[in-house]
Parts: sequence; C-alpha cells; structure tokens
Amino acid sequence: MFEILNKMVKEEWRMHSTMFGNLMFALFPVLLFAFAFAGSFFLPVFRTMITSGQIVLIAHYVFVLFGMSIGGFGLFGREAMNRRFGQASLIAYSSRTLPVSERKIFLNFFVKDVIYYILMWILPFMAGLGFAVPFLSIGLISYFLVFLTLTLSFLIGLSIVFFLSTLYAHSSKGMIAILVLVAVAGVLGAGYLRVELLNYLPSLSFFLSPSFEWFAYSLILIIVPSGLSLFFIKVDYPERKRKFKNSLDSLSERFSFFRSSHFIAKDLLDLHRSEGGLGKIIFSFLFPVVLIWVILFVFLELIPLANFLLMFSILLGAVASSIYDWLTEFDLFGSYLFLPVKVSSLLKSKLRLYVIMNLVPLVILILAGFLTGGTGYLVFALVTFLSVSAYTVSVKIYLGGLYPNLLFYNAKIFLTFLVAIAPILLAGIFSSIINPFYLLATPVLIVISFFIVRRSCSKWDGTEQPGF
Amino acid sequence: MDKVIEIKDLTKKFGVLRAVDSVTMNIRKGELFGLMGPNGSGKTTTVKLLTGQIKPTAGEAKVLGIDVLKDPINVRDIVGIIPEQETPPSFLTAEEYLHFVGRIRKLDNIQKRSDKWFRFLEFEGEKQVLCKDLSRGTRQKLMFAQAFIHEPKLAFIDEPLINLDPVIQRKVKDYLKDYVKKGGTIFFCTHVLEIAEEICTRIGIIDKGRIIHEGPIEDLKRKKQHLEDFFLKLVKEV
Repeated sequence: MFEILNKMVKEEWRMHSTMFGNLMFALFPVLLFAFAFAGSFFLPVFRTMITSGQIVLIAHYVFVLFGMSIGGFGLFGREAMNRRFGQASLIAYSSRTLPVSERKIFLNFFVKDVIYYILMWILPFMAGLGFAVPFLSIGLISYFLVFLTLTLSFLIGLSIVFFLSTLYAHSSKGMIAILVLVAVAGVLGAGYLRVELLNYLPSLSFFLSPSFEWFAYSLILIIVPSGLSLFFIKVDYPERKRKFKNSLDSLSERFSFFRSSHFIAKDLLDLHRSEGGLGKIIFSFLFPVVLIWVILFVFLELIPLANFLLMFSILLGAVASSIYDWLTEFDLFGSYLFLPVKVSSLLKSKLRLYVIMNLVPLVILILAGFLTGGTGYLVFALVTFLSVSAYTVSVKIYLGGLYPNLLFYNAKIFLTFLVAIAPILLAGIFSSIINPFYLLATPVLIVISFFIVRRSCSKWDGTEQPGF
Repeated sequence: MDKVIEIKDLTKKFGVLRAVDSVTMNIRKGELFGLMGPNGSGKTTTVKLLTGQIKPTAGEAKVLGIDVLKDPINVRDIVGIIPEQETPPSFLTAEEYLHFVGRIRKLDNIQKRSDKWFRFLEFEGEKQVLCKDLSRGTRQKLMFAQAFIHEPKLAFIDEPLINLDPVIQRKVKDYLKDYVKKGGTIFFCTHVLEIAEEICTRIGIIDKGRIIHEGPIEDLKRKKQHLEDFFLKLVKEV
C-alpha cells in the first residue's frame, strides 16, 4: 500500500517537473507562499470593509472550490493525461498489468492527491499566512484552527467531486440530473439566500464554534462520499469500441463562416465525446461562477456603493478564460506535426470557438442582470465582460499557448499572468465603484488583446512545441 | 536523375548529445531509400529535421527544392509523412480523421479518396470507430492512408509496417514498390532489415547520428552479402 502511494507521489512530481524543470515547478509553492504572505498584510485593510467572519467564510468556500477543481481535473482530465503520457505509463492504470485491485489503486490515488496538493498548495499558503501572523492580530490558536478547517474544506470539495465521478461512472444521466437539480435549486433559492445559511459548512462552523460535533460532521462529509466512491468504484476499460457517424463534415459546414472550420468541428467533437461531454465545461465553469456570486453577495452587503452586476461582469470575464483551458485539454500538437499546420492556425481556431462558447457566460450575465434588478447597468456589464474576457484569454494564449493547463504550473508563467491580469481587474473594480461610465473605456482591452494574440501567434509559431 | 532531397552538414544537438551529426546526402527521384540504424541512432530525428518538425542546430536541407528551415509548412504540404508514433486525435473516428486531413490539405473528392484507402487497407468496418479505440495495427493503417491521401511525390515513412498483419504488409510493400516505379520517392526509416533488403533500392546506415554507409542495395546483392551481416559488422566497427 505504502509502496504504491510513495511511487504515485514521485510520479506526480516527475510528471510536472519534467515539463518545465524541477526549479520552475518547485518555485510554484514558493510563489504561493509569497502571495499568501503579501496578501495577509492586506487583511487589516479588508477588515475595514468586511468583517473577519466574512473573510473566513470566503476563504473556506474558496478552499471547497479548490478541492473540487483539483478532484475534477484529476478525474475528468484523465483522458488528457492518457493522451499525453500513455495509459500504460501511469501507476493509476497498473491494475491492468499488475496484481493490484482497482480499489487499492483508487484509494492510493485519492490519498496521493490529498498529500500532494496539501504539500504543494495548502502548506505554502498556510506558511505564508503563518509568517504574517506576528504582524496581524491573529492568535496562534486561531491560526492553527484555520489551518485545520481550511484543509477540511479542501478535503470536503475533493470528496464531493470523487463521489460525483463515481456516480457519473454508474449513471452519467443520474449525475447530470443531480447537478441540474442543485443548479435549479440554487437559482430558485438565490432570493432566500442568507449569509447565516452559508455558515453551515461543517468545517466553517467548526472554526466559528469549535466543537467535536462540527469536526465529526466535517469528517463525515469527507469520509462518507470518498468511502462510497471507493466501495462503488467502477472502472470502464476501453474495450468497447465507440462508433459514430461522420459529424465532422456537417459541423465544419455549420461553422464555415469561420476560416479553418474543421478545427472548430474537431474541438467540439473532442469536448462532446470525451468524458463528461460538453456538460463538464459548463459545470466546471458554473462552480466558480456560483462562488463569485456568493462572495459578491457577502462582500457587497458592506459596500453599498459597489454595483453587484458590474463587479460580477469583471470577475465573470476573468473566469470565462477557463473555457480556453478546456478547449486545449484534448489536443496534442504531436497530432499535427506531420501535417501542414501552424500552431497559430490552431490558436486562432480555438479562439474562434472560445468566442462562440462565451455565449454561456454572456447568458449568465444577462440572467444575473434580471435576477438582481440591475438591468440599468446591463450594457456596461456586457461591454466590461467581453473586454475582460478577451484580454484575459489573450494573455493566457500568449503565456500558455496550446498548453495553459500545464505551463501555468511554471511559477514564472503563473506570476506573469497574475501581474498582467490583477491590475486590470482591480482597475475595473475600482472604476465600477467610482463611476460606472469609466467602464465604457474597457473596449481598449479588446484592441490590446488583438495585438497580444498577434504576438502570441508569431511567438508560438517560432517555438518548438513540447514533446508531451 | 533529379535530386528530391538534398542534405548538407545537417546537425541536431540535444544538449551535449549530437543526435544527428553532420549528415550530408542526396536522395533522387524514384528511389526507395531506406535509412537504417540501431535504436536511438538518429533515424527519426533525421526525418523530423527533413520535414521541418524540429529545427536543425546547423546545416541545411532542401526537400523538393524547398528550404526546410525557411518553409517547413510548404514542405509538409507537398510530402506525405508517417510518424514513428501513430497519434491521430482520440475523439475523431477513422473516417472523420481522413476527412479532417483532407480538409487541412484542401483536397477535393475527400469521400472518394478516403473510401479508396479504407478498401485498400481492408478496414472499412472500422471507419466509424473512434481513433482512441482502434487497435495499433488499424491506427497504423490510418496513418498510412493519411500520408498518401493527397498522392504526394515524396513520402517519409517511419516504421510503417511494424504493427501490420502479414497480408496488409504484403499489400503495403507492393504499393510502395509500385509507387516508386511510377516516379514517386520514399524515404523509409526502419530497423527491420529483411524489409529494407526486400524493397529498398538504396540504403543508408546511421549510427550515433553519423551516416556510416550509403549505397545501392544491389551492391550488397552482387557481393552476395546479407544486409544483416553487413549491418552488424558496420555497427560493431563504430
């Protein structure tokens, strides 16, 4: 058991570090540490705007979401990893060739994810906060308590996604039905949402009023879903040959108003036929959107001048760029190297599909406008959303090319991304508070994006593509 | 005869390793040139350099008169390539993949062309199967079809027969012989010496990135020397 776990952790490290070198990968947690340390100094500033309780609430939900995204990538991203590294080479697939049960492998996989991401993300983050503790009015006990409860929040998110993935393996329709029900309940219940209800996250409640009861509830929320996943584990070996009629030609024709529409058709088929279908993009996108909604809901209670819809549009624009991550998830340039295809042709076609898929957040934004009664600001919000989305994705393309999911683990690239994005988002947020009319200047970002994409094309055409 | 490939002092270094070391040679029209060598000798790297998939550290190469370094896309547009590893996109079916390649190459009559290859390589029953669910042999057939779908004048083929069953191997070998008879040229990488001996008109042997032999296969046959003995002797000497 320990041997497999040990090798899996090593495998995970080597898989990432071989892509961009040990140093750049090792710098990633250092960067997180630095951010957490620097960010902690702003806590007193935040405290003048929102209460400590609300900061803690936001932090716990961010960690739940983080656990969900890690679990989601680990499971839905399997196909991408298979394609990059080959199934036989990953220990996760060794039950096919070695006398090890799937259940044992899955348990190790889960524990490995827990150890790995606690070491790589949570520890550096908490260390950063810890180093700032002497400068803040936080007691040591509170610090260790928040360390524990944030870790529990992360594990709750991870366990829920593992459970959903097992449910999906048994009945994809069942899982989608549950998620749709949750989403519908969320929309219908949005009007009844009270901050107090959000405090019922067991890990958060444990922090707010430490008791054995809340700790036990947190553990139950971690152990029961992951235990059920482990018990009902179902692994589909790709023995069944999936057959489809030719849809590439009809899809290419449908998008023929775009140049090289066959690339768009191929990307759509990749997304549709891979695990989770198109739903995986929508749901992986909806989770952060719901979280932003909740955070803004809490945040804006204390800043009456701030406009919910405008702030939502800025953050939605930034989050929309995660759609691009999915569009690049199933492509390997190795599949095109022997064909007359430039990297820039692929980048441009993915950008075109990105534009089409931005209809989803656009609809969300319009709905948000009606739900919050902010239709008066809808035009400002739409313009801002489109501009921020265009800018964020263009920076992502410049820095990550066809492999943002992998290259953004490189500390230098990630830092550059943050430096390029954060001032724009902050400027937008402050403009929305000072005078919403300032946001009408955001289309400048679209012009800048155009130049960034042009630079990206020449940059990536001149770069030898990584061999993974 | 026309020079189809001209290589001069072509070198590729990966760190301190000289994967291809000052290779100079020419391939003429109508040749079925076999490049052989042990594992890791530089065969695949040479093909990648000649098709502009990677950039050389030094030297130059022209393919069908086009400078590979300056215009790699144009080179890949007019030649056919079967890569060492068969990597068609996972979620396209075999048929969709050939249509996809046809669209990239801006071909007409794509349906007719792809049907011809499904029939010839006997995998019509698999054309609706996702590429990721195909057997390695069928994927290899697909890669063969995509390399020749546009009827190129020159093809680079890297171990194209290794996963194929004997019936299809025979068909492919006959196709290649016929292809060069009709004026096509093949640059064929392999370490299966029997196949090279059977179909190649000229061979090159590469070891540690250097060409250690180059000449017509007939020379060996005249000397009644087996390619395997000749190859082993040369490689041991190096």
